[in-house]
Amino acid sequence: MSLVNFRRNYYGYLFIAPFVIGFLIFGLYPLYNTLALSFTDFTLMSRTGTFIGLKNFERLFADDVFMKAVRNTWLIWMLNFIPQIGVALLISVWFTSTRLRIKAVGVWRALFFLPNLLMPAVVASLFFGLFSFYGPVNQFMVRAGFLQEAMHYLQNATITRGLVIFIQWWMWFGQTVIIVIAGMTSIPIPLYEAAMVDGATSTQMFRRITLPLLKPILIYIFVTSLVGGMQMFDIPFLLTDGRGSPSSSIMTNNILMYMKFASSKGHIGAASAVGVLVFIMTCICALGIFYLLREKDSTSNNKPKSRLFNNLNRKK
Amino acid sequence: MFDNYKFNTNVMRVLIYAVLFILLVVTIVPIWLLLVNATRSTTEIQQGISILPSTHLVENYRILLSKGLNMPRGFANSLFVAVASTVITVYFSMLTAYAIVVYEFKGKQLFSNFIVLLVMIPTQLSIVGFYQYMSRLGLTDNYASLILPLIANAGGVFFGKQYLESMLIQDLIDAARIDGASELGIFHLIMMPLAIPGAATLGIFAFVASWNNFFNAFILISSINKYTLPMLVQTLRGDVYRTEYGAIYLGLAMTIVPIIIIYALFSRYIVSGIAMGAVKE
Repeated sequence: MSLVNFRRNYYGYLFIAPFVIGFLIFGLYPLYNTLALSFTDFTLMSRTGTFIGLKNFERLFADDVFMKAVRNTWLIWMLNFIPQIGVALLISVWFTSTRLRIKAVGVWRALFFLPNLLMPAVVASLFFGLFSFYGPVNQFMVRAGFLQEAMHYLQNATITRGLVIFIQWWMWFGQTVIIVIAGMTSIPIPLYEAAMVDGATSTQMFRRITLPLLKPILIYIFVTSLVGGMQMFDIPFLLTDGRGSPSSSIMTNNILMYMKFASSKGHIGAASAVGVLVFIMTCICALGIFYLLREKDSTSNNKPKSRLFNNLNRKK
Repeated sequence: MFDNYKFNTNVMRVLIYAVLFILLVVTIVPIWLLLVNATRSTTEIQQGISILPSTHLVENYRILLSKGLNMPRGFANSLFVAVASTVITVYFSMLTAYAIVVYEFKGKQLFSNFIVLLVMIPTQLSIVGFYQYMSRLGLTDNYASLILPLIANAGGVFFGKQYLESMLIQDLIDAARIDGASELGIFHLIMMPLAIPGAATLGIFAFVASWNNFFNAFILISSINKYTLPMLVQTLRGDVYRTEYGAIYLGLAMTIVPIIIIYALFSRYIVSGIAMGAVKE
């Protein structure tokens, strides 16, 4: 390596230095600090704390509120993610179909994405207003004869949880559509042409070509959605009283963490313990999914792909 | 037989447009009701649903202000935080991404993988440790605690890297070096102007993320004159506004109108930016 080259490459370290320093100060240290606090009985009132070992964690597992929050978070995430990916795959197949030639794909896609840009605080308040006792939903349901009399939607645990699931779906399915379409349009069209010549049906083409080649993108959507879903806060917090009411049906991990943090004494030791446990759970799941699925991708999926390419060459 | 195929395609097309239309209604109606109700009086809102706007916009705004809600102040606060966040995110993300794409240094691949790993890590969960640390530094209730962490924005670096890799800039950089430009000068004067479309897309995302951010601001900011819009919006739920539906809807609508305008102007960049953040070649 010449001196000139050495000097230039030394700039690589110089240019990433702000990021690395910023990460150490604002990313890594707070993470370490959260972990350290989780072993103490630190409160915001006392501003001091002593080391109490794993007591905070023991208390969390003894108290079923924590397990309930974890269960709720998973449930709300899964029930919005499955329809989200399902609807996105369906719409994307329609939008990219050369047979259907749907008009104004860009406009549809842009409009479906709009809710994602709205402030979650506003969305929660908006749905609180729409579903309040004197709100438009009750007006509509009663006048159209679906309901005998107006009801308190947000006092019913199942309806409230369903509403949070719906809002999450409503805010995120448009983004998933955009990503899936981008993935589908990057699949080479000759693959489909070859399959059609061989007499494949559209279902076969979807299962044998689209899904395998879409796998890296589906993993990306899966992992980012999971990581976001485990940290869900704004919508369930602002839709009702901020404590997961009614009957803790929409209490999520982050709401529980906030409740410990904002309790009268400010038990930040206990709040940190919630953060640490959810952090570990999320990282294991997210990285596990990422590596497990990616590993498979490089071995088993090469075969059908190469067979298709061989087919393609033969046809020529 | 061919006619049959064509007929089937047409039937499917009609069904698909119907489904798309229903989805569109579900997507748009809540937002439309919000905007319309912002222009209607409380009595009108209680009387029933309307799809058409009314004439009580100014009146609602007066009620909103009379309850002591300082919307202009909230706007100014949010705008300041969002603009500062955008500048910090774009500059440092591009700088870091540029280093990964242009230079060869030991540990580069490791660093690049580390960025991807960081994107997948739930950073919000360390907020308690972050808060306690900031309070030791005396930075709670200070916008610095919202803005400075964005120097290390992994998502921004990931996007910047994807964007710069799609540009062929090595020849330009070499030409500039022969002309005697400094390395930092090349980044500022040659790369930045060329990367404006990518930087703008990244900037829009950074702006929207900061504008909508509730959780961090809610934890870190405590004095009411420093409240950003999402925090002000949350106070609209209080008892003071209990019966003033028109004013509440207006307060909500005002916070999302800037975002809708940005989206109307730049939706193409935003849509392609999301696709680019996810799709690797």
